[in-house]
Formats: sequence, structure tokens, C-alpha cells
Amino acid sequence: MLPTGVLFETYSAEAGLLKTARARVAVAALVLALLAAPLATGAYLQGVATHMFITLIAVYGLHVTVGMAGQINIAQSAFVGVGAFATARLSEFGLPFFIVVPVAALVTGAVSVVFALPAARVKGFYLALTTFAAQVLFPIIVLGLPTSWLGGLVGLAVEPLTVAGRPMNTPTHMYYFTLALTLIASYAAFNLHRSRFGRALKAVRDNDVAAEVMGIDVLRHKIMAFFVGSMFAGVAGSCMAWVLQFVTVESFTLFTSVWYLGMLIVGGAYSPIGAILGVAFITLVQEGLHELGTAILRSGAQEAGGAIFAATNIALGACILIALIFEPRGLAHRWQVLKTGLQLWPFPHR
Amino acid sequence: MTRPAPLAAGISAAAAAGRRAPVLHAEALQLRFGAVAALRDVSLSVAENEIHAIIGPNGAGKSSLLNCLSGFYRPQSGRVYFDGEDITQLRPHRRAAAGLGRTFQGIQTYPSMTARENILTGFHNRMRTGVFGALVWWGRVRAEEEAFTAKAEEIIEFLELEELRHAVVGDLSYGLRKRVDLGRAMALEPRILIMDEPMAGMNPEEKGDLARFILDIRDANRIPVVLVEHDMEVVMDISDTVTVLDFGEVIAVGTPREVRENEAVIAAYLGTE
Repeated sequence: MLPTGVLFETYSAEAGLLKTARARVAVAALVLALLAAPLATGAYLQGVATHMFITLIAVYGLHVTVGMAGQINIAQSAFVGVGAFATARLSEFGLPFFIVVPVAALVTGAVSVVFALPAARVKGFYLALTTFAAQVLFPIIVLGLPTSWLGGLVGLAVEPLTVAGRPMNTPTHMYYFTLALTLIASYAAFNLHRSRFGRALKAVRDNDVAAEVMGIDVLRHKIMAFFVGSMFAGVAGSCMAWVLQFVTVESFTLFTSVWYLGMLIVGGAYSPIGAILGVAFITLVQEGLHELGTAILRSGAQEAGGAIFAATNIALGACILIALIFEPRGLAHRWQVLKTGLQLWPFPHR
Repeated sequence: MTRPAPLAAGISAAAAAGRRAPVLHAEALQLRFGAVAALRDVSLSVAENEIHAIIGPNGAGKSSLLNCLSGFYRPQSGRVYFDGEDITQLRPHRRAAAGLGRTFQGIQTYPSMTARENILTGFHNRMRTGVFGALVWWGRVRAEEEAFTAKAEEIIEFLELEELRHAVVGDLSYGLRKRVDLGRAMALEPRILIMDEPMAGMNPEEKGDLARFILDIRDANRIPVVLVEHDMEVVMDISDTVTVLDFGEVIAVGTPREVRENEAVIAAYLGTE
């Protein structure tokens, strides 16, 4: 809902992402804060933030496949892995990052289409199993290929990222690099929502029979949903490869795929805001419990500290359950309600 | 009983009878589900600019016929011609692109999207933005979005949905959702509009509005409208031609007056002694 007095002269202005001065100021302030953050934080927190950015890009992709097109995907982590391995191989040729990242994204998209071709023909439970197969096959294929291709069990070393000839090898460098890609990915994710392609995906999710009769090629759009969702995963994989500087299959597990889904559910699958809130919330809870556990361990209470670590997954699982039971539309919906409430204050009705 | 003779090609009985060439022509359609014959040798000709109602008792095969026309069912034999082209093998989305607009029985809108977005999806085949354009949102994409939003607004104005353009369709009443459904079909800029029980579940006021919209669409866009409908009052009021189905066969074709006086039709609806 918009405040009174916000008027548009063109429909494309009405479709703008930041429609009010307040929204523009808020987003500018957030970006400035993120840009300034490394001045006040150490390597550890910057690493956490970098990891959060990478996760967010991957969850944006999942939001496209699962949230927008309604196609369940429990192989997002494997697709991130494809992007990471592609980046590792491409980096050997000394290509600049602005070539490596798009190529890795396209390669990942293409690989996902191989799995989407059968997946788009089945629904629900069977679709879940098909994408599960993609996740299970990923390490089998990587380990099965000749070691000279993807490194086998050992993995691949990644040539360090260089930007304008300078190596990006500190946590601060990677923080800024992943932040930049996250901002671009955010813009792309929000753009999808207001475009013809995004509407077609949502039409397929809402009512695939009607969509087909209205001239939307449902099968093609289901496959494209995997393609686009995996392109985001590919970009996340590129970042991951450069941050870790070494890629092995062990970094891309089913467990991570499920967590990506969990974050999307907690945040709200139907909007990119949900991806942002979900990733931020789960990461904060994870890190908070981690800090708490470490603090207790340092104070000498070994058992209590261990219990906190053990309880981390239980607490995060509880978050997903609570979200599913009390707010299936996720934190994004809460955020919307809060925003509308603030705009209407002090009058509680429209 | 007036029953159209089977035809050799996509040329119509109506043309042979000196009327205008049909826009949509179904010829000798046979459709069975297992042992049940849903359609037996059903032919249908829809002339330019006419409102053509398909009526018949429950289970007569009306919806089966519509689904053969819009491509959901493939008849075991028989052909469907649209503007002289054989479209029998085309998938539904290709038929939509060819100009077959359709509205649905019950609620088949996209509940999570706004009324305007629902209507914009109807323009899918006329818009060109691809995946990469959608991600980058460059100038050409913006211009296209602007142009088609303006067209969607024309439909919104025509259907008197201005107040609800940004309302989420899942929150709207039944009658309003049906109106959005009609708007989405209009966005296809169809050369024929096929409507499956448009009046079902509506109150008299909504029926009146919808009948007015159907007549207006026919007059403004100069396209034929095919509708399956149970409300005889509406059928007799607005249609030019009525085809009556019973047990998967055409038992009568004619003007509302002719059909009302047809003995086979009376027998089908009221039963025989």
C-alpha cells in the first residue's frame, strides 16, 4: 500500500521498485551501512556477512524456482556446486571475473535443464524425488569423472580472484565483491517479479491449466524456472569458489539444500524480501547460538556449551516449524503487515 | 431436426447455405473415454460475429466439445478448423496464440496476482521480453511494459474494474473473479471467444452485467462468442444460434426460436411419454 499523495505519470514509474522518497532513503541508508560495515568489523564478522551474501544469492534462485514457479527443488546446493566447479576450471584460463561469473551461471543453468527436462513433467512428490536425485548424483558424478576433470575426492584449487589486476585475497575484499554481486542479484530478483516472465511463472504456479489455455507454454516455463533459479546458484557458486579458494563435493550437501529451503520458508517464498529476511534471520540465529555456545565453553561449562551447539539445529528446525504453523507466508508477510500498520498509524483502518 | 451434413473440408455448411464463412468449424468429432462416447459425430460451425450457444442436459457433452475446441482433449477422429487452418493437433497454448480466447467454468484465475497482473498475463504471446530482459529490465523492456499496461488499463476500464486493479484476485468475490477471467481472455485479443458456463453461480445483477459485456465484446471487437450455458433465459436473450447436444450428439441447430419449438429438444429436456 502506498501513502497518500504518491502519484505516477507513467505505468513504468508505477512499476518502480522504490516508489517513495522514504523507500529510496531507507535502501540508500542500508547500502551505505553495508559499504561502511567493514570499517567497524573484524575478519570474522566480515566472513559471516560474506557467507550470508552468498547464501542469499542461492536462496534468490530458489525463490524463483520454488516461490515463483512452484517447482520444489531440493538440489540447490548441488547447483551452487556446479557453479563453484565451473568457476574453478574457468579460473585456470586466467579469465577476468566478469566473464567467469556469467559463464559459470550459464553452465549451471544448462546443467539444471538436464534435470528439469524430466522434472518439469512430474508434480509434487515425484518432482521432489527427481530434484533429490540431482543432489545425490552430484557427488557421484564429480567423484566418478577422471581426476583431471574435477579433481575427484581431492577437489580443485581455485586461482585467486583478481579485480583490475589486483588480487582480492582478504576477507574485506571478498566482502565487497560478494556485496556487489548480491546487489546486482537483488535487482535482478525484484525485476523478475514485474516482468512478463515473472508473471508467466506465477501463472504456472497459481493455475497451470489456465496458464496453458492463456497461451503460456507451461512445460517450457517450468524448465526455465529451473534454468533461472540455477543461474543464481551458479553466481553463488562462483563467489563460494573464490572465498574458499578450494572446491570439493563436501561443501555442497543435501543438508545445505534443505537449509536453503528452510530459509526460504521462514522468510516467505513468495517475494524476494522473504529470501532476504529468511537468510538474515536464520544466519543471525545460527551465529547467535554459536557465539553463545562459544562463550559458555570459554567460561568453563563444557557440558552446557556442548548442549548449545547440539541444540542449534533443533532451534533452527523449530523456527521452520513455527513459521509453517503460524505464518506460512513467512516473515515477508509480517513485514508487510508491520509496514502497512505504520503507514496507517494512528488510524487502524484504511 | 436440423442436422448439418458432414463436410469434406474446412469449408462450412453455413457457407454452402449462402452465409458467411465460419470462423471456427468442428467436423465430425468423435471422443470416447473408455466405453463412454462423449461426442458422437459432432459438427459445429461458428460464423463471424455471432453469439453461438451450446446447450443440452447434464452429460450431453458440452464441456467435452469445448475442450476439443480449446485443445484439452484430442478427439479420436474429426477435425477442428480455425480460420480455415486445421488446428486439431495444436496444443492449447498454441491455439491461444492463434486467436482462441477462452474463459472457464468456475474460478480459474491466478489467485495470488492482482487483477491487472491477471489481465497482463493474457498478453503473454504478444509481448517479447525474454528471461534476460526480465532480469536486466532495460529500456526496451520498460517501454513494452508501459505499452501493455496501457492496453490492460483499456480492458480494466471496459470491464469497470478500475477500483480493483491492484486488488489481489484471490480476495475478490466470485462475480468479480469471473470478470477478471473475462478480462484475461480479452487480453489475448482473440478472434473468437469461448466461454464455459459464464453465468453459473452469479446473481441476477451479475448475470445482467456479464450479458452486457458479452454483447459489447462481440460488437466492439467484431468477434464471435461461443458459450456453453445452462441459464435458458440468457441463452434465448443473447444468442444468434443455438446448438443443442444430447448424449453426445447434435440434436438441433438454429435460432433460439427454432430450437425452442424443436420437438427433439423438448423431448431431451422434458423427456418423452
